[in-house]
Amino acid sequence: MAEKKEARIGVFVCHCGTNIAGSIDVEAVKEYARTLPNVVHADDYQYVCSTPGQTMITDAIKEHDLTGTVVAACSPRLHEPTFRMATKVGGLNPFRFEMANIREQNSWVHMHDREGATEKAKDAVRIAVAKASLLEDLIPKSVPVEHAAMVVGGGVAGMQAALDLGNAGIKTYLIERSPTIGGRMSQLDKTFPTLDCSQCILTPKMVDVGRNENIELMTYTEVAEVEGYIGNFEITLRKKARGVLTPDEAEARGIVGGGCNGCGDCVEVCPVIKGNEFEFEMAPRKAIYIYHPQVVPNLYTVDFNTCIKCGLCVEACGEKKAIDLEMVDELIKVKVGTAILATGYDLFPIENKTEWGYKKYENVITGLEFERLICASGPTGGHLVRPSDGETPKKVAFVLCAGSRDNTGVGKPYCSRFCCMYSLKHAHQIIEKIPGAQPYLLYMDIRSFGKMYEEFYYRIQDEGAKFIRGRVANILEDPVTKNLHVFTEDTLLQRPIDLEVDMVVLASAVQPTTGADAVRKLFGVSCSQDGWMLEAHPKLNPCGTTTAGVFLAGVCQGPKDIPDTVAQAEGAASAASIPIHRGEVELEPYFAQCNEELCAGCGMCVNLCPYSALALVEKDGRKVMEVTEAKCKGCGTCGGFCPGGAIHMQHFTTPQIVAQIDAFLLGGEQ
Amino acid sequence: MHEYAFFLGCIAPNRYPGCEAASIKTSEKVGIKLLPLEGASCCPAPGAFGSIDLNIWYAMAARNVVLAEQMDRDIALICNGCYKSIYEVNHILKHNDELRDGVNEVLKEIDMEYKGSIDVWHLAELYYDPKICGVDKIRESVTRPLSDTKIAVHYGCHLMKPRKERHFGDTDHPMWIEELVAALGAEPVQYRNKMQCCGAGGGVRGFDLEHSLDITNEKMINLQEVGADALTEVCPFCQLQYDRGQIEIEEKFGIKYGLPVLHYNELLGLAQGMSPDELALDLHAVDVTPFLEKIL
Amino acid sequence: MAMEKNYGNPSLEAKLKDRYYYSDDTNRDFTKEVEKIGRTIAHMCYQCGTCTGSCPSAPRSSYRIRLFMRRAVLGLEDEALTDPDLWLCTTCYSCTDRCPRDIAPTDVIMAMRNLAARRDIVPRNFLKTVQAIYTTGHGVPNNDVNRAARVKLGLEAEPPTTHGFPEYIEGIKAIIDHYGLKDRADKILSEGE
Repeated sequence: MAEKKEARIGVFVCHCGTNIAGSIDVEAVKEYARTLPNVVHADDYQYVCSTPGQTMITDAIKEHDLTGTVVAACSPRLHEPTFRMATKVGGLNPFRFEMANIREQNSWVHMHDREGATEKAKDAVRIAVAKASLLEDLIPKSVPVEHAAMVVGGGVAGMQAALDLGNAGIKTYLIERSPTIGGRMSQLDKTFPTLDCSQCILTPKMVDVGRNENIELMTYTEVAEVEGYIGNFEITLRKKARGVLTPDEAEARGIVGGGCNGCGDCVEVCPVIKGNEFEFEMAPRKAIYIYHPQVVPNLYTVDFNTCIKCGLCVEACGEKKAIDLEMVDELIKVKVGTAILATGYDLFPIENKTEWGYKKYENVITGLEFERLICASGPTGGHLVRPSDGETPKKVAFVLCAGSRDNTGVGKPYCSRFCCMYSLKHAHQIIEKIPGAQPYLLYMDIRSFGKMYEEFYYRIQDEGAKFIRGRVANILEDPVTKNLHVFTEDTLLQRPIDLEVDMVVLASAVQPTTGADAVRKLFGVSCSQDGWMLEAHPKLNPCGTTTAGVFLAGVCQGPKDIPDTVAQAEGAASAASIPIHRGEVELEPYFAQCNEELCAGCGMCVNLCPYSALALVEKDGRKVMEVTEAKCKGCGTCGGFCPGGAIHMQHFTTPQIVAQIDAFLLGGEQ
Repeated sequence: MHEYAFFLGCIAPNRYPGCEAASIKTSEKVGIKLLPLEGASCCPAPGAFGSIDLNIWYAMAARNVVLAEQMDRDIALICNGCYKSIYEVNHILKHNDELRDGVNEVLKEIDMEYKGSIDVWHLAELYYDPKICGVDKIRESVTRPLSDTKIAVHYGCHLMKPRKERHFGDTDHPMWIEELVAALGAEPVQYRNKMQCCGAGGGVRGFDLEHSLDITNEKMINLQEVGADALTEVCPFCQLQYDRGQIEIEEKFGIKYGLPVLHYNELLGLAQGMSPDELALDLHAVDVTPFLEKIL
Repeated sequence: MAMEKNYGNPSLEAKLKDRYYYSDDTNRDFTKEVEKIGRTIAHMCYQCGTCTGSCPSAPRSSYRIRLFMRRAVLGLEDEALTDPDLWLCTTCYSCTDRCPRDIAPTDVIMAMRNLAARRDIVPRNFLKTVQAIYTTGHGVPNNDVNRAARVKLGLEAEPPTTHGFPEYIEGIKAIIDHYGLKDRADKILSEGE
């Protein structure tokens, strides 16, 4: 701690070009600052965050022997770190800096009230100066970082992130709640615009994940609980009862050479038949099952919701003894330094748009169902057929923006971003596979924004797809032929259309997966208005979250296609590896501190603390509270409550807050 | 007994009085008492009146609501057009202070005040509502089941649409009136584009009769396809369009259908044992006899 | 501003009329007025065509609800109010149910009709309904055949509405007169004869 001396504050008012100066009289704010108690220097500058602007701060600290700095500019979320650094370079403790937000909370919202905005800016500066005068030196605490990471979600995003982390030498837990990794991409037939076979490019990655010695793949597993903070997350996983042992698990039970080898003998004898969710129930599976032949791990799973425990599978498995019908869920604790969420998407339940008749009309299907029907490994061996009669459809309508760009409350207001392109791909696929096929794309706008996407649009139009610019109003089914009549307006022709087709494919909107909300809450991640997980900054920190050490990859953050998903996954992996490679992280020193002389040891605060950071300990023969600083987030709950006033909140001390309130209410009078 | 102020509108009392008589008698058998709403007027016609000046439409409809407020009874009615005016204006005025103040300024001149103290219901929804009546009670009231008849349902537009301003849910594939029809022992049949408009609304019947009938004719083609013995609806204005409209279609387009059109309350009356005379079915433009022969 | 041709030949001028849309064709107040009367966000239309695709009048006429929405967005007042297609909407509300932008196109039409009526553009049958309601309280009044049928059914010859209680008609007249609608209806109908 520096020795106590009279506060000497420097104030710097930023123009931010015209962002602030356009609606606030910066000169007047600066002149006003000079009249405030403890202010010995005030200045203004076009962009205080620029190098000359920062130099202005460092020079002033030395020249005027300042004890604290105030910058009136934008949100601390943007430039607090910048000005703390400038304060530090000037020779002060970086926590002797206070920011007055006169942009987001002022100039941008009071654009048409220059006088009022200027007065409000003066208030903000006065309040900041009051606090700055009482700021103390604080020393950030460093904590070691666990040399391990977790990725939640085993789709292409999670797999890529896990591979990058693993290849960077970091122990990585890849958690997937379904029995196999692969995610949505493994359900796709081909990918746009290259028309690569989706499985062909994905399965090598799946195999790599299975083989990577740094990746611990945990399928059929969910996150149950998250404790801790960046560098030291303690995560409890629920390993769901799978009913089947891996060879390692078998060996651990003393069954030598046993465990599931994926032979499938069990399936033959299982008497329970259920719809395979991987095939959207268009193909059957048994109560003991794998989704498809390329699953990783190649390990069967018992669906205990439908299993009748007849034991036939156990018999069929024989000496491998891989099946345990009495298995129960298991809780496992792991410790990681950082985590990446990659929980993906589901389709919006498009039957809620009753006008399109999904689930009412047999030949109305979704884009993902189309993928399975056109895929060689799908339920029909790649022959696209009408669910009603097994006939090959010739005329197929693709309904774009099915539930996307929809502000009715039934549907999603956003663009789902990949439906235009996959519908183009679908059109190509039927032209290629079905002689004489005629695809119609009913669209509002074709959004082909990516690399080689517009070229792909050109190609598909050239191949003969017909584009009708009109959003589909409704669909009616011919009860006899089960053909569908698609109604819209060809807005370019300005005529209503009754388009009779054999099949309709709804390019349904996408939404976060069920359970994504629960996962994000466990990790303390917010969601944006549209329900997707919220990134730390939409432009400059799209992989990060507001929870330090937690990152996002793929569609869980917002709709994106495979290239963007993989790119974000690599970005998230890189970001998540930084704290791990540095080996330690600095925590902001906003801890609660206990004044043991005042503490009565009542323990009320211990129960109130949402982060389990407080405990009662014996000291000098009496009980007092002790803070685990690494766990404390500085929320202030304990400090606000403590009946004895024994808890000191660093950087938000009672005298500091009272000074701020006084400064506001008393208008600067002491 | 659940008591309601019975809002008649125009077409039921003045063109199809059997609907009025049937409603009063059939509802009483299922625990609903319809009380006369004295001095009520045209709702007023949402197409004609609303198109000219919505403010007058609000005020005129509000006057009818106030009459029921003075009786301290909710309104029950049997016409979708009336439902549009009375239900919707009541709903709008309950939630929009500005419009409500405007309406009350006018009503003050005739010593009335809209308070927003009652609700408005279509009798069909009261029939369907198990808290008031319910399908079972309708079924139990039947003494002469309409067996071996195929009946198609026309829901009409203004009862259920716009969906967001109503409470009936799905407006594309509704089935609740079919349930009420099945309760009478008849077989409800589905037909193409069931939810399409009858063609009469919005003043179009008066503005361009041929246009209006061309819409009706499309419905008739779709109805003919499934061999319905009768068409039922819950709106005398739709009934007028289908019933008289068939005669007009014959006159103008030279096509004859002869499909009997009956308000649900008329059907219910028949199923409860009322005679055709008690329902004034002779006032229907399309001869109802072929249908009656199947059930009598 | 559209170019004046001044060819001195009305049929040629009509044929060669300047078809450009000029930004000063837009009347912003029209958009606002339509939104206020219709209580809906007409300016948010993105022209997807769902409305026309839902419309029972579109397949049998030149009426395109989407075009009226466009006119609402652009404030093309004259074009909207003088187009006779304005009166072909059956107000079935299918477009309103389906509009993805949560606009009520039907109520946009109703608002435009209200504004057309202010210019005395109203179909005659609408005004005759007004006259009937003014005098009897009913748009479709009672008649002798019906009275006889009512009596046969055991109902009063006049229903218990303004027909049975004509003292209530004064109140109806007062409301309609408050807006001067009866006089306007009479005037427009007599001028048209």
